[in-house]
Amino acid sequence: MKAITMKKSLFSLTLVSMAVLAGCSTMPQSTTLDHARTDYHNAQANPQVVKLAPLQLKDAGEALDRANAAQTSKEDVKVVDSLAYVAKQKIALAQETALRKNAELAVSNAAAERNQQQLQARTNEADQANMKAAVAQQDVEQIAAELDVANAITQQQQLDLNAKTAEANQARQQTANAEANAAQDQANLAAMQAQLNELNAKQTPRGMVITLGDVLFDTNQAHLKSGGARNVQKLAEFLKRYPQRKVLIEGFTDSVGSNSSNQALSEQRANAVSMALTDMSVGRDRVSTKGYGEAYAVASNDNASGRQLNRRVEIMLSDENGNIAPR
Amino acid sequence: MVGCASVAPPTAQIAVSKAAVAHAGSAATTEFAPVELQSAKDKLARAEQAMVKEDYALARQLAEEAQADARLAEAKSETAQAQKAARDSQDASRVLRDEINRKAQ
Repeated sequence: MKAITMKKSLFSLTLVSMAVLAGCSTMPQSTTLDHARTDYHNAQANPQVVKLAPLQLKDAGEALDRANAAQTSKEDVKVVDSLAYVAKQKIALAQETALRKNAELAVSNAAAERNQQQLQARTNEADQANMKAAVAQQDVEQIAAELDVANAITQQQQLDLNAKTAEANQARQQTANAEANAAQDQANLAAMQAQLNELNAKQTPRGMVITLGDVLFDTNQAHLKSGGARNVQKLAEFLKRYPQRKVLIEGFTDSVGSNSSNQALSEQRANAVSMALTDMSVGRDRVSTKGYGEAYAVASNDNASGRQLNRRVEIMLSDENGNIAPR
Repeated sequence: MVGCASVAPPTAQIAVSKAAVAHAGSAATTEFAPVELQSAKDKLARAEQAMVKEDYALARQLAEEAQADARLAEAKSETAQAQKAARDSQDASRVLRDEINRKAQ
Protein backbone atom coordinates (compact mmCIF):
# COMPACT_ATOMS: atom_id res chain seq x y z
CA MET A 1 0.00 0.00 0.00
CA LYS A 2 2.75 2.38 1.00
CA ALA A 3 4.73 1.45 -2.11
CA ILE A 4 1.73 2.14 -4.28
CA THR A 5 1.17 5.47 -2.58
CA MET A 6 4.83 6.37 -3.05
CA LYS A 7 4.64 5.41 -6.71
CA LYS A 8 1.51 7.45 -7.18
CA SER A 9 3.15 10.35 -5.43
CA LEU A 10 6.15 10.15 -7.71
CA PHE A 11 3.85 9.84 -10.70
CA SER A 12 1.95 12.91 -9.58
CA LEU A 13 5.18 14.83 -9.06
CA THR A 14 6.33 13.72 -12.50
CA LEU A 15 3.09 15.00 -13.94
CA VAL A 16 3.57 18.28 -12.11
CA SER A 17 7.10 18.57 -13.51
CA MET A 18 5.83 17.76 -16.99
CA ALA A 19 3.07 20.29 -16.55
CA VAL A 20 5.60 22.90 -15.51
CA LEU A 21 7.92 21.97 -18.42
CA ALA A 22 5.02 21.86 -20.80
CA GLY A 23 3.59 25.03 -19.34
CA CYS A 24 4.23 27.30 -22.27
CA SER A 25 2.90 30.82 -22.10
CA THR A 26 -0.01 30.06 -24.35
CA MET A 27 -1.32 27.29 -22.10
CA PRO A 28 -4.17 28.32 -19.70
CA GLN A 29 -3.59 27.23 -16.06
CA SER A 30 -6.30 25.49 -14.00
CA THR A 31 -6.27 26.80 -10.43
CA THR A 32 -8.72 24.08 -9.47
CA LEU A 33 -6.16 21.49 -10.50
CA ASP A 34 -3.55 23.23 -8.36
CA HIS A 35 -5.93 23.08 -5.40
CA ALA A 36 -6.73 19.45 -6.10
CA ARG A 37 -3.02 18.56 -6.14
CA THR A 38 -2.42 20.38 -2.86
CA ASP A 39 -5.45 18.67 -1.28
CA TYR A 40 -4.28 15.28 -2.50
CA HIS A 41 -0.79 15.89 -1.16
CA ASN A 42 -2.26 16.80 2.25
CA ALA A 43 -4.54 13.77 2.25
CA GLN A 44 -1.62 11.46 1.49
CA ALA A 45 0.36 13.04 4.31
CA ASN A 46 -2.50 12.33 6.73
CA PRO A 47 -1.91 8.86 8.20
CA GLN A 48 -5.55 8.57 9.28
CA VAL A 49 -6.79 9.05 5.72
CA VAL A 50 -4.19 6.59 4.40
CA LYS A 51 -5.20 4.06 7.02
CA LEU A 52 -8.97 4.52 7.32
CA ALA A 53 -9.97 5.51 3.75
CA PRO A 54 -7.55 3.72 1.41
CA LEU A 55 -10.16 2.91 -1.29
CA GLN A 56 -11.51 6.45 -1.35
CA LEU A 57 -7.95 7.83 -1.52
CA LYS A 58 -7.15 5.49 -4.43
CA ASP A 59 -10.31 6.59 -6.22
CA ALA A 60 -9.37 10.25 -5.64
CA GLY A 61 -5.83 9.57 -6.96
CA GLU A 62 -7.24 8.07 -10.13
CA ALA A 63 -9.54 11.09 -10.60
CA LEU A 64 -6.55 13.39 -10.12
CA ASP A 65 -4.60 11.33 -12.68
CA ARG A 66 -7.39 11.87 -15.20
CA ALA A 67 -7.33 15.65 -14.52
CA ASN A 68 -3.56 15.70 -14.87
CA ALA A 69 -3.78 13.70 -18.10
CA ALA A 70 -6.33 16.18 -19.50
CA GLN A 71 -4.02 19.02 -18.55
CA THR A 72 -1.06 17.23 -20.21
CA SER A 73 -3.01 16.60 -23.40
CA LYS A 74 -3.87 20.30 -23.38
CA GLU A 75 -7.58 19.82 -23.26
CA ASP A 76 -9.89 22.75 -22.69
CA VAL A 77 -9.38 24.41 -19.30
CA LYS A 78 -13.06 23.88 -18.48
CA VAL A 79 -12.64 20.14 -18.98
CA VAL A 80 -9.49 20.14 -16.78
CA ASP A 81 -11.28 22.25 -14.18
CA SER A 82 -14.22 19.87 -14.11
CA LEU A 83 -12.01 16.77 -13.74
CA ALA A 84 -9.93 18.57 -11.07
CA TYR A 85 -13.16 19.52 -9.27
CA VAL A 86 -14.32 15.89 -9.25
CA ALA A 87 -10.86 14.85 -7.95
CA LYS A 88 -11.01 17.55 -5.25
CA GLN A 89 -14.47 16.38 -4.10
CA LYS A 90 -13.26 12.77 -4.03
CA ILE A 91 -10.25 13.79 -1.92
CA ALA A 92 -12.67 15.56 0.43
CA LEU A 93 -14.77 12.38 0.45
CA ALA A 94 -11.71 10.36 1.49
CA GLN A 95 -11.02 12.84 4.30
CA GLU A 96 -14.65 12.76 5.46
CA THR A 97 -14.59 8.97 5.40
CA ALA A 98 -11.51 8.98 7.63
CA LEU A 99 -13.19 11.42 10.02
CA ARG A 100 -16.35 9.29 10.10
CA LYS A 101 -14.47 6.09 10.81
CA ASN A 102 -12.51 7.88 13.50
CA ALA A 103 -15.75 9.01 15.11
CA GLU A 104 -17.18 5.49 14.87
CA LEU A 105 -14.03 4.15 16.53
CA ALA A 106 -14.46 6.74 19.26
CA VAL A 107 -18.04 5.55 19.79
CA SER A 108 -17.03 1.93 20.14
CA ASN A 109 -14.00 2.85 22.26
CA ALA A 110 -16.20 4.86 24.61
CA ALA A 111 -18.65 1.97 24.84
CA ALA A 112 -15.78 -0.40 25.58
CA GLU A 113 -14.46 2.05 28.16
CA ARG A 114 -17.87 2.14 29.85
CA ASN A 115 -18.05 -1.63 29.92
CA GLN A 116 -14.53 -1.71 31.35
CA GLN A 117 -15.46 0.89 33.96
CA GLN A 118 -18.58 -0.98 34.98
CA LEU A 119 -16.64 -4.21 35.14
CA GLN A 120 -13.94 -2.52 37.20
CA ALA A 121 -16.55 -1.02 39.52
CA ARG A 122 -18.21 -4.41 40.02
CA THR A 123 -14.82 -6.04 40.51
CA ASN A 124 -13.95 -3.40 43.09
CA GLU A 125 -17.25 -3.96 44.89
CA ALA A 126 -16.68 -7.70 44.87
CA ASP A 127 -13.08 -7.23 46.05
CA GLN A 128 -14.23 -4.98 48.86
CA ALA A 129 -16.90 -7.47 49.89
CA ASN A 130 -14.33 -10.27 49.78
CA MET A 131 -11.87 -8.20 51.78
CA LYS A 132 -14.51 -7.43 54.41
CA ALA A 133 -15.38 -11.11 54.60
CA ALA A 134 -11.69 -12.00 54.88
CA VAL A 135 -11.19 -9.44 57.65
CA ALA A 136 -14.23 -10.77 59.50
CA GLN A 137 -12.93 -14.32 59.09
CA GLN A 138 -9.54 -13.23 60.39
CA ASP A 139 -11.21 -11.63 63.41
CA VAL A 140 -13.12 -14.83 64.10
CA GLU A 141 -9.96 -16.90 63.80
CA GLN A 142 -8.06 -14.47 66.02
CA ILE A 143 -10.73 -14.65 68.70
CA ALA A 144 -10.84 -18.45 68.44
CA ALA A 145 -7.05 -18.60 68.78
CA GLU A 146 -7.14 -16.30 71.82
CA LEU A 147 -9.88 -18.45 73.31
CA ASP A 148 -7.76 -21.57 72.74
CA VAL A 149 -4.81 -19.93 74.46
CA ALA A 150 -7.00 -18.81 77.38
CA ASN A 151 -8.46 -22.33 77.69
CA ALA A 152 -4.99 -23.87 77.59
CA ILE A 153 -3.80 -21.47 80.31
CA THR A 154 -6.86 -22.21 82.45
CA GLN A 155 -6.30 -25.94 81.98
CA GLN A 156 -2.63 -25.60 82.92
CA GLN A 157 -3.57 -23.54 85.95
CA GLN A 158 -6.09 -26.19 86.97
CA LEU A 159 -3.41 -28.88 86.58
CA ASP A 160 -0.94 -26.79 88.60
CA LEU A 161 -3.57 -26.26 91.26
CA ASN A 162 -4.34 -29.99 91.37
CA ALA A 163 -0.63 -30.79 91.63
CA LYS A 164 -0.13 -28.25 94.40
CA THR A 165 -3.20 -29.50 96.26
CA ALA A 166 -1.86 -33.06 95.97
CA GLU A 167 1.55 -31.90 97.19
CA ALA A 168 -0.04 -30.08 100.11
CA ASN A 169 -2.14 -33.14 101.00
CA GLN A 170 0.93 -35.33 100.77
CA ALA A 171 2.92 -32.93 102.91
CA ARG A 172 0.10 -32.86 105.48
CA GLN A 173 -0.05 -36.64 105.42
CA GLN A 174 3.72 -36.84 105.84
CA THR A 175 3.61 -34.37 108.69
CA ALA A 176 0.83 -36.36 110.34
CA ASN A 177 2.76 -39.61 109.79
CA ALA A 178 5.93 -38.02 111.12
CA GLU A 179 4.02 -36.71 114.13
CA ALA A 180 2.47 -40.12 114.68
CA ASN A 181 5.86 -41.80 114.30
CA ALA A 182 7.43 -39.26 116.62
CA ALA A 183 4.67 -39.86 119.15
CA GLN A 184 5.16 -43.61 118.77
CA ASP A 185 8.93 -43.25 119.10
CA GLN A 186 8.42 -41.05 122.11
CA ALA A 187 6.12 -43.61 123.64
CA ASN A 188 8.54 -46.46 122.84
CA LEU A 189 11.43 -44.50 124.22
CA ALA A 190 9.47 -43.68 127.39
CA ALA A 191 8.51 -47.34 127.84
CA MET A 192 12.10 -48.50 127.37
CA GLN A 193 13.34 -45.78 129.67
CA ALA A 194 10.87 -46.89 132.33
CA GLN A 195 12.06 -50.49 132.12
CA LEU A 196 15.71 -49.43 132.18
CA ASN A 197 14.93 -47.36 135.27
CA GLU A 198 13.45 -50.43 136.93
CA LEU A 199 16.73 -52.25 136.18
CA ASN A 200 18.73 -49.34 137.63
CA ALA A 201 20.45 -48.91 134.26
CA LYS A 202 23.00 -46.09 133.96
CA GLN A 203 24.22 -44.25 130.88
CA THR A 204 28.02 -44.55 130.45
CA PRO A 205 30.33 -43.67 127.54
CA ARG A 206 30.20 -47.40 126.47
CA GLY A 207 26.39 -47.49 126.59
CA MET A 208 23.75 -48.51 129.12
CA VAL A 209 25.14 -50.51 132.07
CA ILE A 210 23.16 -52.51 134.64
CA THR A 211 25.12 -53.31 137.80
CA LEU A 212 24.15 -56.30 139.94
CA GLY A 213 25.73 -56.06 143.40
CA ASP A 214 27.29 -59.03 145.31
CA VAL A 215 24.27 -59.10 147.58
CA LEU A 216 22.77 -61.30 144.84
CA PHE A 217 25.39 -63.93 145.48
CA ASP A 218 26.42 -65.77 148.61
CA THR A 219 30.04 -65.16 149.63
CA ASN A 220 32.43 -67.16 147.46
CA GLN A 221 29.38 -68.61 145.67
CA ALA A 222 28.25 -68.21 142.07
CA HIS A 223 24.54 -69.13 142.52
CA LEU A 224 22.04 -66.37 142.19
CA LYS A 225 19.94 -65.70 145.23
CA SER A 226 16.19 -65.37 144.78
CA GLY A 227 16.36 -61.53 144.87
CA GLY A 228 19.01 -61.60 142.15
CA ALA A 229 16.85 -63.97 140.11
CA ARG A 230 13.99 -61.39 140.11
CA ASN A 231 16.36 -58.76 138.71
CA VAL A 232 17.55 -61.19 136.01
CA GLN A 233 13.87 -61.92 135.23
CA LYS A 234 13.28 -58.21 134.50
CA LEU A 235 16.36 -58.19 132.25
CA ALA A 236 15.09 -61.25 130.36
CA GLU A 237 11.73 -59.54 129.76
CA PHE A 238 13.50 -56.43 128.48
CA LEU A 239 15.58 -58.55 126.08
CA LYS A 240 12.47 -60.36 124.81
CA ARG A 241 10.82 -57.04 124.13
CA TYR A 242 13.82 -55.56 122.28
CA PRO A 243 15.13 -58.56 120.33
CA GLN A 244 17.78 -56.53 118.46
CA ARG A 245 19.63 -55.85 121.71
CA LYS A 246 22.47 -58.09 122.94
CA VAL A 247 24.23 -58.21 126.32
CA LEU A 248 27.81 -58.64 127.55
CA ILE A 249 27.95 -59.92 131.10
CA GLU A 250 31.14 -58.88 132.94
CA GLY A 251 32.18 -60.35 136.35
CA PHE A 252 34.41 -58.52 138.94
CA THR A 253 35.75 -59.30 142.46
CA ASP A 254 37.50 -57.41 145.28
CA SER A 255 41.22 -57.88 146.00
CA VAL A 256 40.76 -60.50 148.72
CA GLY A 257 42.23 -63.84 147.73
CA SER A 258 44.55 -64.90 144.93
CA ASN A 259 44.36 -63.49 141.42
CA SER A 260 43.59 -66.85 139.89
CA SER A 261 40.75 -67.60 142.30
CA ASN A 262 39.29 -64.09 141.80
CA GLN A 263 39.50 -64.55 138.02
CA ALA A 264 37.67 -67.86 138.22
CA LEU A 265 35.04 -66.43 140.60
CA SER A 266 34.35 -63.42 138.33
CA GLU A 267 33.87 -65.75 135.35
CA GLN A 268 31.59 -68.11 137.30
CA ARG A 269 29.34 -65.25 138.44
CA ALA A 270 29.06 -63.87 134.91
CA ASN A 271 28.21 -67.40 133.66
CA ALA A 272 25.58 -67.80 136.43
CA VAL A 273 23.74 -64.72 135.14
CA SER A 274 24.12 -65.93 131.55
CA MET A 275 22.66 -69.34 132.39
CA ALA A 276 19.77 -67.73 134.21
CA LEU A 277 18.95 -65.66 131.09
CA THR A 278 19.19 -68.78 128.92
CA ASP A 279 16.81 -70.54 131.28
CA MET A 280 14.38 -67.66 130.73
CA SER A 281 14.40 -68.31 126.94
CA VAL A 282 16.94 -65.60 125.90
CA GLY A 283 18.97 -66.97 123.01
CA ARG A 284 22.61 -67.96 123.72
CA ASP A 285 23.80 -65.99 120.67
CA ARG A 286 22.55 -62.80 122.33
CA VAL A 287 24.52 -63.31 125.55
CA SER A 288 28.32 -63.29 126.01
CA THR A 289 30.33 -63.34 129.25
CA LYS A 290 33.73 -62.18 130.46
CA GLY A 291 35.54 -62.31 133.86
CA TYR A 292 37.98 -59.59 134.92
CA GLY A 293 38.94 -60.79 138.44
CA GLU A 294 39.89 -57.90 140.72
CA ALA A 295 40.63 -55.49 137.82
CA TYR A 296 38.56 -52.36 137.10
CA ALA A 297 37.76 -51.71 140.73
CA VAL A 298 35.09 -49.04 141.15
CA ALA A 299 35.95 -48.32 144.81
CA SER A 300 38.83 -48.71 147.33
CA ASN A 301 39.57 -52.24 148.50
CA ASP A 302 40.92 -50.86 151.85
CA ASN A 303 37.55 -50.90 153.60
CA ALA A 304 34.56 -53.22 153.68
CA SER A 305 32.06 -50.89 151.97
CA GLY A 306 34.52 -50.26 149.09
CA ARG A 307 35.22 -54.00 148.63
CA GLN A 308 31.44 -54.65 148.57
CA LEU A 309 31.06 -52.19 145.65
CA ASN A 310 33.89 -53.93 143.78
CA ARG A 311 32.24 -57.38 144.05
CA ARG A 312 29.78 -57.05 141.22
CA VAL A 313 28.40 -58.14 137.84
CA GLU A 314 27.94 -55.45 135.15
CA ILE A 315 25.65 -56.08 132.23
CA MET A 316 26.46 -53.99 129.08
CA LEU A 317 23.45 -53.41 126.80
CA SER A 318 24.26 -53.27 123.09
CA ASP A 319 22.95 -50.54 120.78
CA GLU A 320 20.02 -51.28 118.44
CA ASN A 321 22.36 -53.03 115.98
CA GLY A 322 23.72 -55.47 118.58
CA ASN A 323 27.13 -53.73 118.94
CA ILE A 324 28.88 -53.38 122.31
CA ALA A 325 31.88 -51.06 122.72
CA PRO A 326 34.94 -52.97 123.97
CA ARG A 327 36.39 -52.10 127.38
CA MET B 1 -13.59 19.90 -28.94
CA VAL B 2 -16.43 20.80 -26.61
CA GLY B 3 -19.87 19.73 -27.76
CA CYS B 4 -18.41 17.59 -30.51
CA ALA B 5 -21.16 15.52 -32.20
CA SER B 6 -19.03 12.38 -32.00
CA VAL B 7 -19.46 12.24 -28.18
CA ALA B 8 -22.05 9.65 -27.15
CA PRO B 9 -24.87 10.73 -24.75
CA PRO B 10 -23.81 9.91 -21.12
CA THR B 11 -27.11 8.25 -20.29
CA ALA B 12 -25.61 5.80 -17.79
CA GLN B 13 -23.69 8.55 -16.01
CA ILE B 14 -26.82 10.66 -15.72
CA ALA B 15 -28.65 7.68 -14.16
CA VAL B 16 -25.84 7.03 -11.70
CA SER B 17 -25.72 10.71 -10.68
CA LYS B 18 -29.50 10.82 -10.27
CA ALA B 19 -29.35 7.78 -7.98
CA ALA B 20 -26.48 9.33 -5.98
CA VAL B 21 -28.35 12.63 -5.51
CA ALA B 22 -31.53 10.79 -4.55
CA HIS B 23 -29.61 8.62 -2.08
CA ALA B 24 -27.95 11.66 -0.55
CA GLY B 25 -31.20 13.59 -0.29
CA SER B 26 -32.11 12.50 3.24
CA ALA B 27 -33.18 14.85 6.03
CA ALA B 28 -29.79 14.41 7.76
CA THR B 29 -27.87 15.51 4.67
CA THR B 30 -30.12 18.51 4.31
CA GLU B 31 -29.19 19.38 7.89
CA PHE B 32 -25.47 18.57 7.91
CA ALA B 33 -24.31 19.25 4.28
CA PRO B 34 -26.87 21.60 2.70
CA VAL B 35 -24.34 23.41 0.41
CA GLU B 36 -22.95 20.24 -1.20
CA LEU B 37 -26.40 18.73 -1.57
CA GLN B 38 -27.76 21.85 -3.20
CA SER B 39 -24.70 21.97 -5.52
CA ALA B 40 -25.31 18.34 -6.53
CA LYS B 41 -28.96 19.01 -7.30
CA ASP B 42 -28.15 22.13 -9.35
CA LYS B 43 -25.47 20.35 -11.38
CA LEU B 44 -27.73 17.38 -12.04
CA ALA B 45 -30.42 19.77 -13.30
CA ARG B 46 -27.88 21.52 -15.53
CA ALA B 47 -26.62 18.14 -16.80
CA GLU B 48 -30.14 17.22 -17.77
CA GLN B 49 -30.54 20.57 -19.60
CA ALA B 50 -27.25 19.88 -21.44
CA MET B 51 -28.62 16.47 -22.45
CA VAL B 52 -31.63 18.18 -23.92
CA LYS B 53 -29.27 20.53 -25.81
CA GLU B 54 -27.29 17.44 -26.85
CA ASP B 55 -24.15 18.97 -25.32
CA TYR B 56 -23.13 15.55 -24.12
CA ALA B 57 -19.58 16.46 -23.05
CA LEU B 58 -20.91 19.18 -20.72
CA ALA B 59 -23.68 16.86 -19.57
CA ARG B 60 -21.09 14.23 -18.62
CA GLN B 61 -18.91 16.79 -16.78
CA LEU B 62 -21.85 18.17 -14.80
CA ALA B 63 -23.19 14.69 -14.06
CA GLU B 64 -19.82 13.57 -12.75
CA GLU B 65 -19.50 16.71 -10.57
CA ALA B 66 -23.06 16.20 -9.31
CA GLN B 67 -22.24 12.61 -8.38
CA ALA B 68 -19.04 13.71 -6.57
CA ASP B 69 -20.97 16.47 -4.74
CA ALA B 70 -23.74 14.07 -3.74
CA ARG B 71 -21.29 11.47 -2.40
CA LEU B 72 -19.39 14.17 -0.46
CA ALA B 73 -22.64 15.57 0.95
CA GLU B 74 -23.64 12.12 2.13
CA ALA B 75 -20.20 11.49 3.59
CA LYS B 76 -20.20 14.83 5.44
CA SER B 77 -23.63 14.07 6.83
CA GLU B 78 -22.51 10.64 8.00
CA THR B 79 -19.34 12.06 9.51
CA ALA B 80 -21.30 14.73 11.38
CA GLN B 81 -23.69 12.12 12.75
CA ALA B 82 -20.86 9.81 13.75
CA GLN B 83 -19.04 12.68 15.48
CA LYS B 84 -22.21 13.58 17.35
CA ALA B 85 -22.59 9.95 18.42
CA ALA B 86 -18.93 9.95 19.53
CA ARG B 87 -19.46 13.06 21.65
CA ASP B 88 -22.62 11.57 23.18
CA SER B 89 -20.82 8.33 23.88
CA GLN B 90 -17.85 10.10 25.44
CA ASP B 91 -20.23 12.23 27.52
CA ALA B 92 -21.94 9.04 28.71
CA SER B 93 -18.56 7.59 29.64
CA ARG B 94 -17.66 10.71 31.61
CA VAL B 95 -21.01 10.67 33.44
CA LEU B 96 -20.55 7.01 34.30
CA ARG B 97 -16.98 7.64 35.49
CA ASP B 98 -18.15 10.49 37.72
CA GLU B 99 -20.93 8.33 39.12
CA ILE B 100 -18.57 5.45 39.88
CA ASN B 101 -16.10 7.81 41.54
CA ARG B 102 -18.88 9.30 43.67
CA LYS B 103 -19.97 5.82 44.74
CA ALA B 104 -16.42 4.80 45.57
CA GLN B 105 -15.99 7.78 47.91
